[in-house]
Amino acid sequence: MKKIAIEQRPGWQDYAESVGFDFHTFDGEPYWDETGYYQFSLEQIENDIEAPTEELHQMALSLIPDILADEQKLIALDVPAAYWDWLAESWRTSQPHLYGRLDLAYNGQGPAKLLELNYDTPTSLFETGFFQWVWLEDQQMRGRLPQGADQFNSLQDKLEQAFAEMPLRQPCYFSSVDGNIEDKGTINYLMDIASQAGIDARYLPLEQLGEIDGQLVDSQNFPIQAMFKLYPWEFMLREEFGSHLLTSDTQWLEPAWKMLLSNKGILPLLWQKFQNHPNLLPAFFETKDSQSMAPGWVRKPLYSREGANIELIDLQGKRLVVDGPYTDAPFIRQAFTPLPTFDNSFTLIGSWLVGDSAAGIGIREDATLITKDSSRFLPHIILD
Amino acid sequence: MSKSIKRSKKAALILMVPTATLLLAGCGSEEPVQTAVYQNAEECAAFYNPPAECQAEFAKAQQLHAQVAPKYQSKTECETDFGIGNCETPATAAVSTDPNAPVQQQQQASSGFFMPMMMGFLAGQMLNRGGAGQAAPQKSVPTQPLYKSRDDQGTYRTASNQPVARKSGVTSVMPSQMQPKAGTVVRRGGFGAQAQQRQSMTSGG
Repeated sequence: MKKIAIEQRPGWQDYAESVGFDFHTFDGEPYWDETGYYQFSLEQIENDIEAPTEELHQMALSLIPDILADEQKLIALDVPAAYWDWLAESWRTSQPHLYGRLDLAYNGQGPAKLLELNYDTPTSLFETGFFQWVWLEDQQMRGRLPQGADQFNSLQDKLEQAFAEMPLRQPCYFSSVDGNIEDKGTINYLMDIASQAGIDARYLPLEQLGEIDGQLVDSQNFPIQAMFKLYPWEFMLREEFGSHLLTSDTQWLEPAWKMLLSNKGILPLLWQKFQNHPNLLPAFFETKDSQSMAPGWVRKPLYSREGANIELIDLQGKRLVVDGPYTDAPFIRQAFTPLPTFDNSFTLIGSWLVGDSAAGIGIREDATLITKDSSRFLPHIILD
Repeated sequence: MSKSIKRSKKAALILMVPTATLLLAGCGSEEPVQTAVYQNAEECAAFYNPPAECQAEFAKAQQLHAQVAPKYQSKTECETDFGIGNCETPATAAVSTDPNAPVQQQQQASSGFFMPMMMGFLAGQMLNRGGAGQAAPQKSVPTQPLYKSRDDQGTYRTASNQPVARKSGVTSVMPSQMQPKAGTVVRRGGFGAQAQQRQSMTSGG
C-alpha cells in the first residue's frame, strides 16, 4: 500500500458535473482529489481487506438473533420497545438488504481493524462505484497508468445484480431529505442503477411522504409499496410518522433489522462475542460508573454520522473532539488505533458490501484522525 | 495468484447523463386521453374487452376504493351526499372484495367511518387498442373507482368529485384531473424533522 502522485485529468470538474457529481468540491475545498492515488497489491486486497470484510459482516449478522432474543441488548442499543416486534419480524421474514460499508484502519500490513459499520445510510457510493472507476479507465487511456492496473471496485456490477435479483416490490420509491445535494447525488446513482436493472424507480423527497390511516403514501396518495430511504432509521423511529412504520404495508431498503448493525453499540457486542479477533478493537458500553477516558481510547455516540460527536485521546494523551448534534444518545468506548499517514494526511478505508459480498473500497483522507463529511476522497489501483 | 478482475465490467449511467432530460420532457400543455368507464367487470366485457383484463382492472379499482373514497363520520352525512342506501363501512367493502385483502382494509374496519359504494370504475390501462384509429401511444390514466352523487345520479365521478362520463364506454379525460386522492385528509412531513434540527448534516455516513 503506497500513495503515488499523478497528474490530474484536464477538465475533470466539467466531466464530473456533466454526470451529476455536483459535490466534487465542498465549500471551496476539494472533496474528490485526484492529485494522487493509492496502490495496493492483489494480496493486500484479497487477504487483508476483501476476506476480512466478508468475515466481519458474517460476525455482525450472527449478532442479530442474539440481540433480538435479549431485551437487555435492545435496551443497550437504545431501540424503542414499541419497535422490537416489528424489527424482529423484518429479520424473521428475511427482508433483503442492499448494501453497507465497513470503515477500516489499515496501513498495508497486519490485520485491518474495524472502526465501525455504516449499515443503514452509507454514502460516497457514486465516488467509489462510478467516478474512481472512470478515473482508472481514463488514466489508462492516457497512458499514465499501466494497462495491467486493476481496482477493487465491483460495486456498480454488484448493485445492478442485487436490484435485478432481490425480491423488491414496485414501483420502488427512492427518498432523501429535500435540498441535500450530496444525498440526492447518492440517490440519483442508485436510481440509475436500479433502472438499469429494470426496476420502476421513482424519487420522492422525504418530506412529501404522506400518511393515510397508517399507510404511507406517495404524492398522489397511492400506497408506497417499497422505499429506499437515505435517512437514518433511528431518526424515523422517533419522528412524527414513526408509529406508521408499524402499520404501513411497505418494503424498506435498508430493512429495519439493519438499524441494529449501524448502531455503534454493535462494536462492544462484537467484542463480547469475538474477543481478540484480529480485526476487532476492544470496545465497551459507557456507563455511569465509567471512569474518565484514558489515553488510547475513543468515545462515540451510538448514533453518529460523519465523525460527529467523536472524542479521541491518542496514545500520547492528545485529545481531539468533533462537535456535533448527537449528544442525546448513549456512548460507547473503543480502543484507539492510529490511522496510517501518507503525505501528512490520515487515511481511512471504506470497504463496501453489496448483500453479503465484499464489493470494493473507497479511500478517505483527512488532516486529523477523525474522518468527516469533508474528508477528501482518493482513487486507488491494484498493481503487483 | 488469482487473476480475476476485481472491478466492474462496466459502469454506465442512463439517467444521470444529460440525455436523461428527455425523459422529463412533456410538462407543457396537457392533452385529453381516451379511456373507458364501466359499471363493473361484466359490463366491461360486454363492450368487447377481454374479460380477464376487465376483471383485473375492476379488482384494481376495488382495491383502491377503501383508500380513496370520501370518508364520513356518520352514515347520515355520507347519505346526504350519495343517497340513501349508497354508503357502506370499509369492513363491508373489505368483505365484499378479495378475501386476501391488504391488512390496510382490515385495520380500517375498526375505525368506524362511512364511505360511498363504488358505482363503477375507470379502466385506465385497458384502452390502447381499437379506438378511432389513433395508434400513437398515449399517456394512461390510473385505474380507479368511480362514484355517483345523490343530486346527479347520472354522472360517474372520481373520488375527488371530478365528473368523468354520463354513460358507460369510451370517454375522454384530462390525466391531471384523474389522479386519485385519498378520502381522508392526508398528512405529510412526518419524517425529516431531525435533519432540520441537526442542520448542516447529511443523512449518510
